[in-house]
Amino acid sequence: MSNTPEPSNLPTSTSGPSEHDGSGEGSASVLLSLRGISKNFGAVQAIQNVNLDVVDGQVTALIGDNGAGKSVLIKTISGIWAPSSGHIYWKGEEIHVHTPRNATDLGIATVYQDLALCDNLDIVQNMYLGREETKFSMLDEIKMELATNQLLKDLSVSTVKSVRQLVASLSGGQRQAIAVARAVMRDSQLVILDEPTAALGVSQTAQVLQLIRTLSSRGITVLVISHNLNDVFTVADRIAVMHLGTLCSSGPASNYDTASAVELITTGHSSRVPPSLLTSS
Amino acid sequence: MSIIVDPVQESSFEKPDRSQLWYRRLLANQQFLLLLVTIAIFVFFAFNRHVFASAGEFGNNVTNFCTLVLLGVGETYVIATGGIDLSVGSTVSLSGVVGAIAMEHLAMHSELLVLSVGTVVCIGIGILVGVVNSALIHYARLVPFVATLVTWGAGAGMCLVLTGGAPIGQNSGAIALTVPKIWIFSYPALIIIAITFVAGLFLHLSRFGRFTFAVGSNAFAARAVGINVKRQVTSVYVLSGALAGITGMFVYMRLGSGAPTAGTGQELIAIAAVVIGGARLTGGSARLSGTVIAAWMITIVSSGLIFMNVSPNYNQVAVALLIATAATAQALRKSARQSS
Amino acid sequence: MNKESLTSGAPTRTRWTGAKAVVAASLAVSSIALVGLGSASVAGASSSKKITIAFVVGAEADPFFISMNAGAQAEATKLHVDLIWQGNPSQYSPSTQIPVVQQVTTQLASAKPSALVLGPTDPKALEPYVKVAVKKHIPVFNVDSQDASLKNITGFVTGNNAQGGQAAADALAGAMGYTAGKTYNVVVGMTSPTATTNVLRYDGFKAEIAKKYPGIKILAEAYSQSSPTTANTNIQNWLTEYSQSSKTPLNGIFAIDGTNAEGAASALQAGGLACSKTVCGSGHVALVGYDAYSSNVSLLSSGVFAALIAQDPYQEGIDSVFNAYTYLKTGKLPKGVSKTTTLPNVTLLPTSNSTFLAKYTYATA
Repeated sequence: MSNTPEPSNLPTSTSGPSEHDGSGEGSASVLLSLRGISKNFGAVQAIQNVNLDVVDGQVTALIGDNGAGKSVLIKTISGIWAPSSGHIYWKGEEIHVHTPRNATDLGIATVYQDLALCDNLDIVQNMYLGREETKFSMLDEIKMELATNQLLKDLSVSTVKSVRQLVASLSGGQRQAIAVARAVMRDSQLVILDEPTAALGVSQTAQVLQLIRTLSSRGITVLVISHNLNDVFTVADRIAVMHLGTLCSSGPASNYDTASAVELITTGHSSRVPPSLLTSS
Repeated sequence: MSIIVDPVQESSFEKPDRSQLWYRRLLANQQFLLLLVTIAIFVFFAFNRHVFASAGEFGNNVTNFCTLVLLGVGETYVIATGGIDLSVGSTVSLSGVVGAIAMEHLAMHSELLVLSVGTVVCIGIGILVGVVNSALIHYARLVPFVATLVTWGAGAGMCLVLTGGAPIGQNSGAIALTVPKIWIFSYPALIIIAITFVAGLFLHLSRFGRFTFAVGSNAFAARAVGINVKRQVTSVYVLSGALAGITGMFVYMRLGSGAPTAGTGQELIAIAAVVIGGARLTGGSARLSGTVIAAWMITIVSSGLIFMNVSPNYNQVAVALLIATAATAQALRKSARQSS
Repeated sequence: MNKESLTSGAPTRTRWTGAKAVVAASLAVSSIALVGLGSASVAGASSSKKITIAFVVGAEADPFFISMNAGAQAEATKLHVDLIWQGNPSQYSPSTQIPVVQQVTTQLASAKPSALVLGPTDPKALEPYVKVAVKKHIPVFNVDSQDASLKNITGFVTGNNAQGGQAAADALAGAMGYTAGKTYNVVVGMTSPTATTNVLRYDGFKAEIAKKYPGIKILAEAYSQSSPTTANTNIQNWLTEYSQSSKTPLNGIFAIDGTNAEGAASALQAGGLACSKTVCGSGHVALVGYDAYSSNVSLLSSGVFAALIAQDPYQEGIDSVFNAYTYLKTGKLPKGVSKTTTLPNVTLLPTSNSTFLAKYTYATA
């Protein structure tokens, strides 16, 4: 935990009370922790003093109303915006992510809703974008294509016809799958998904949720933003709720139900969850 | 191929096999169609004027092709990023003029030294224009069309200022170099063809080329995977400028002098070649082979119309028709793909 | 500098040529003189108000007009009149010329030019603006090109393009060693089928051939659209089609303007068909060009051009200024000068002496 003083007075992987909740994951370590993260755009305070632990190997769902600050928070983690104040710890070490590249180099991959892929490139080209394999300084297309095929098979993404089809011809669910697969290919340890099931039909949503579980089973930590509480309770191990720019509650999913989640989303408080899971603010 | 597809079903498992018979795939390939049309045009002209199929005329066409193709190559890179470079025609003139001035000053030295320095100066001017273009795009926040329109006008004006309207220099040695030596190819032509070939490999088989397409396809996504979008765009405009500089040197050698109007209007022909070659002006999609075939096609159409003693005004009409046809073919194929 | 001379209005003289130091000195002297003379000079000012002649031409940066400017300036200096020189740098078009004419004719009374010399870029489009000027008592002269009607025009100085075309035919026939009874194949490089100077020159060329050289056959014309690169392409193609081994080997080329001259000269050199100073017979293609750009003149001495036909823009400038000056002073054109002055085009030959060549080589800025 190095010599930095800040984390000592806040819940961490081993000392925080919320971890001893009997959910069987008590020994899990924290992959990413945020301490006192604030972000303001001029006079507008977008997020304020957010403390959050993302537990290694688990699926954390970040929920909240529109404008609660979810997107700003993940953009801060993924290097799009620098936080105005606060600290980010990755595996216990403080990190500074100034660019998306910093984040991906650390192993933090963010899958944005619609913006992640290049429509005019095919699946293989997108999978390896920015990380192309080369041979004699030429692109090694065969190697990349074989590896892509293998990975999609491993992740049970079986709906795409050919890895050489353009991404423009894929459905929304397939695009999410490709973007997630790309994160896996890059040995990302934390995959952040921004509303992965928004605008998807029933069967495609099921496929994406299945993919999230597959990631988790491969030991990849997932932070997923979602509006859809059904989805959240289907896949999440842990839940974090944002309200008006602050993190009002976080803890194992088993401590929440739909009613308490709704209450937290709309008011920031709930008497139905253990008080230890509420952030005093 | 079934057109009725349930939108939910569409994404799920086994879709109907879309792979078509090989000849249908070939016919859907714009570059292949272009090649067929080019051959047809050649055959038409060759039947009308037998000299059209002679080695001498091939040599003329290679020379003319070389004054166009590198501009098309640079423009292909630029258009692949979703930009456009209107400055290349002016850059041809300007680099030729500045190169000619430099070479005039060195006239007493050996031919080789003079031409080498001239080449370096021409490429330097091209790079300079490319840097100015990208600076206008990145720092003055101009869209590429406006940024390169600015350098187009500035370049053309500079040419007149520097030359007073008249061509500069008279270099018969340079002219002699543009005469075909190896069958229908002069040495500079071979160099230009080699550059074109390398540029094609570079665009389609290197990471630089891949980044170029990614930036034009989705700049946000490109940035998100760590591609330096600004640097990529800058490189592409610099490349386009440098290729225009090389073309400027080649035109200088053809004419034996640096003429202020040597490249006038070439930018539009280069853009036409890229569009006819199947690139999308919105970026992300282009084939260098298409640009090259289209440049050859435009070259032989121009020559053929001269042989038929047709006014050059019809030449413009002919190129316009080719653009319209190519763009329509592209739109039709796109809508066919979406409805399938 | 042209802006200064338009806006200052004061009787400072703007020089176009010569050392800057001279300009500065003369400015200083004249301003001191003004201060010194004080009110005494004002009384006589209206009667001896300095004559200002405005020149509005087509493409200011064209060496042709640069030469004309030099001639006009030299005459203006000699006659102690002010010269305002205006024109779009590169575009020879009424749409860019009209605003310039408007600006010149709507000056305040103090800056109003005494006369306007106009080289209209279109025979009709400029006429209304000429009428405006005349209404404001500014006499209008034409130079090089003319308005459709000379009714409102006081005088017109121009080069003789038809005669230039004839001279080109004579020079070409001479270079090919024309002998009656033989056939000579010739192509003509033009800029466009409709440009007036092209048409006049070509008509003169054809008329002379019909009259004196029935053996000369014009095989084709090609159009360069003001691009030397296109001109080069055109000639290359003709050299291939009418190769020396074909049934109709090319014997001569008439390049109708400077751009075509440049393109044709380089194509001939590349094809190894250019004449040299000593040899110009079978197996060579004789080239007669137009316009004495310095680069073309240097090819004249090496024999690539058998002849260059040059206009005399310098003299056009001199005559225009002198005509305007005389008219302003006397209300009439100079004695012996008719309303339209036509200056012959001159033929520059490889054998011409260097002073003669230098005189007609177009100036550059």
